[in-house]
Amino acid sequence: MNQNLYDFIVNKGHHQYRHTVDWCLAEEYAAKGLSPIQRMADRFERLCREEEAVILEGEQIVFLRTVANLPAIFTEEEWAEINQKHYIHELGFMSNLSPNYYDTIATGLLEKRKTADPYGQRAIDNILMLSDKYLEKAKKQGREDLVEILTQVPRHPARSFREALQFFRILHYALWLEGNYHNTVGRFDKYIWPYLKADLEKGIYTRDTALALLEDFFLSFNKDSDIYVGVQQGDNGQSMMLGGEEVFNLLTELCLEASCNNKLIDPKINLRVSKKTPKEIFTKATHLTKAGLGFPQYSNDDVVIPALERLGYAHEDAANYTVAACWEFIIPNVGADVANIAALSYPKAVDTALHSSLLTAKTYEEFFATVQAEITAECDRICAGIHDLWFIPSPFMNVLMDCDIYNGGKYNNFGIHGTGIATAADSLAAIKKYVFEEQSIGKEELIQAVDENFENTPELLHTLRYEAPKLGNNDDFADSIATALLDSFAAALTGRTNCRGGIYRAGTGSAMYYLWHADEIGASPDGRRAKEPFGTNYSVSLFAKVKGPVSVIASMTKQHFENAINGGPLTLEFHQSIFAEEDGIEKVGMLVKSFIDRGGHQLQLNTVNLDRMLDAQKHPENHRQLVVRIWGWSAYFVELDKEYQDHVIARQAYTV
Amino acid sequence: MTGIVFDIKEMAVHDGPGLRTTVFFKGCPLRCRWCHNPEGLTFQPQLMVKDARCIGCKNCQKGCDHPECKPFGRCIHVCPENCLEIAGRQVDAKALAAELLQTAEILGDAFGGFTFSGGEPLAQPEFLLALAAELKPHHLCIETSGFAGPEIFRAVLEQLDYIIMDIKLADPVLHQQYTGQSNDQILHNFEILRQSSKPYTIRTPLIPGITDTKENLAAIAALIGDSNWEKLPYNAAAGAKYKMLGMKFENHPAK
Repeated sequence: MNQNLYDFIVNKGHHQYRHTVDWCLAEEYAAKGLSPIQRMADRFERLCREEEAVILEGEQIVFLRTVANLPAIFTEEEWAEINQKHYIHELGFMSNLSPNYYDTIATGLLEKRKTADPYGQRAIDNILMLSDKYLEKAKKQGREDLVEILTQVPRHPARSFREALQFFRILHYALWLEGNYHNTVGRFDKYIWPYLKADLEKGIYTRDTALALLEDFFLSFNKDSDIYVGVQQGDNGQSMMLGGEEVFNLLTELCLEASCNNKLIDPKINLRVSKKTPKEIFTKATHLTKAGLGFPQYSNDDVVIPALERLGYAHEDAANYTVAACWEFIIPNVGADVANIAALSYPKAVDTALHSSLLTAKTYEEFFATVQAEITAECDRICAGIHDLWFIPSPFMNVLMDCDIYNGGKYNNFGIHGTGIATAADSLAAIKKYVFEEQSIGKEELIQAVDENFENTPELLHTLRYEAPKLGNNDDFADSIATALLDSFAAALTGRTNCRGGIYRAGTGSAMYYLWHADEIGASPDGRRAKEPFGTNYSVSLFAKVKGPVSVIASMTKQHFENAINGGPLTLEFHQSIFAEEDGIEKVGMLVKSFIDRGGHQLQLNTVNLDRMLDAQKHPENHRQLVVRIWGWSAYFVELDKEYQDHVIARQAYTV
Repeated sequence: MTGIVFDIKEMAVHDGPGLRTTVFFKGCPLRCRWCHNPEGLTFQPQLMVKDARCIGCKNCQKGCDHPECKPFGRCIHVCPENCLEIAGRQVDAKALAAELLQTAEILGDAFGGFTFSGGEPLAQPEFLLALAAELKPHHLCIETSGFAGPEIFRAVLEQLDYIIMDIKLADPVLHQQYTGQSNDQILHNFEILRQSSKPYTIRTPLIPGITDTKENLAAIAALIGDSNWEKLPYNAAAGAKYKMLGMKFENHPAK
């Protein structure tokens, strides 16, 4: 790694080259009556002109954002009108795509230009114009290496590992500059490996020099990422997928090492594994977990691929899956899924049933049936609400996809998250045990206690919160309820067609809804008080006293993920000390392997140090580089809003 | 056959090979000054209060009818922060084994099994043997001070797959002074262990000024020869649990 460059970037030295623009584009476009795609094309052209070439000392992978903002292309009135006419997802883009870097890097933009539509051609011309600015700069600075590279790429196919990396950097940079977001990296070790392999065979690189270059390349993901803000800083979707069927090569290993050495939150590393994955790979990956970045996130090919096929994905596409910004399973090149379009709140379904049907329900089964009906009704509402979906077109993104995504990709499915499954399962377990089986808690008593936020019933609160059966203890009593909830959710979405002709996919993720949905209801029958958040994604409740990670894994691998494969991991937290010795690292690796062998679908592990987080809240200046995992992405702790910080801290109560 | 245990910990990474779950037996004949598991000392249930989370609601002092709360005069079932718990659960060997066996397959696939620790597991020999019999053929390991009669030690050794045994102090006088017991039995049992075919590890906690002295470490080295030997660094935070138990960490080695 180039340490000087690393320090310069980490200390934000490169921000000095940035400026903002105050162009009133929207008004101009409105006056001219330009269409949305014309506006996108025009803004991109102006931005490419405005961008300056900056080549930092010793920088091997160039392209740096110098324009820090993207002026709006619609006036407020126009945008309001569009929102009225259409269902608009998030900021309006079809994000969370995995474009075909592979093909583009292998053929060059001139070749791509031949088949692109006029807007795509214009985007390509502008990228070439900008890359020529870098070429001129390289000549001026006497950077012969860059002159050679930029003469070749992105116009022509990459001929070497370094050209492939530079080509990728330009494509990725252009996607962000165009305005789309959550632009994922895809199966990097699959499509870049042939270049490294050839260079290694030619003797151009050794393992060490390849690693050093890769570290500089990984650093490039962190140059502009602060401009790519999602819900919070760090939520930028630069997800990289490694491994998978037939793929675990030297580049995979080098990527794990580069991430470990750089200790930066981008790119976000995912690893595809299966029953066939040897123990040593889990050990290697656990060394990265030890670094405390919240990577890698694992997904299980044995579960994900067949489940995607069941949903109608062709085998070759399912086998080629990657992840969206967080953990949603998407298909590179041809998938135009909107994998995070909405979310179901399980606890809300339970809360509604509690107030509408508990008093009249004669059995637990009868009560659960009303919860199921509530889940179905909520899915009805969610799906009915999504119609006339419209996207702001991104011409260059469309160039990089193998199909015209705006007129329908090969897959046009919608993913729905499922929030708070543990809160709901634990609530139902308590109702089943205490209200119906033991009859030790009265129905009115429970409803009143929940409505009063347990203010007047401390003993009841204690029982529900700390003594009732909880998901995560390998106890079928609670675990089977989670299974039934997930099945109900999946069944409620089966057979529906969405407004783009695709289907709906049930998922196990929560995204930020673990906070938002928790605010929609008061307390819950699992002893959760009002305002307390749910666990993130597919996790146990924040205050559940669980026996430990082995039981959690046993519990959380029982469910039928083949019916609910939109994505969303089980999260486990480990104290840093467990990784102190190689033996501990191997054991964590074995635990991950157990999860995979038992048919878990997705797993994410965190290394945490509670004392350090508490100190960072008091003295943020001392902990600028402290990284924590939020719902599907890693972030610098001190850059998060306090509610997100507090949730990470609350998660630590039962850390191993 | 019942015994008393104070904790069951999954994924105890320092308690033997592979993925393991450790059962902590309550009660110990030794009184090591540096002991960091004070709830493992007596054979009776004890109230543990995590004061740090107390919000001062005083619910626990209002009185209750729970028989388990009676001996302590405070209710453990009413704290909104779950500050109070009873360390020490009387449990039947068969029932405990059934609980442990739920994850045995995962542990076995990960080259691990179960470990008996404490407290001193050898201090409840019948319970230990009964539990071991129920858990077989899973891989079983013990963490012990080695303080027990030789017949007990032999009987247990036969049932287990891996032994982790402490030799804290080689000198019998110092051993008596710092642990409250002579090391005669321990050293005798070590010979039994050495002559057995069981794989084992000897551990020495490095207590500043007490066990980490040059003399002691040299004497232990001479005693154990080429045995596998682990020296464990002393955890300075070890005294934290004493306060929760209403006990004093009077013999803190740092004093």
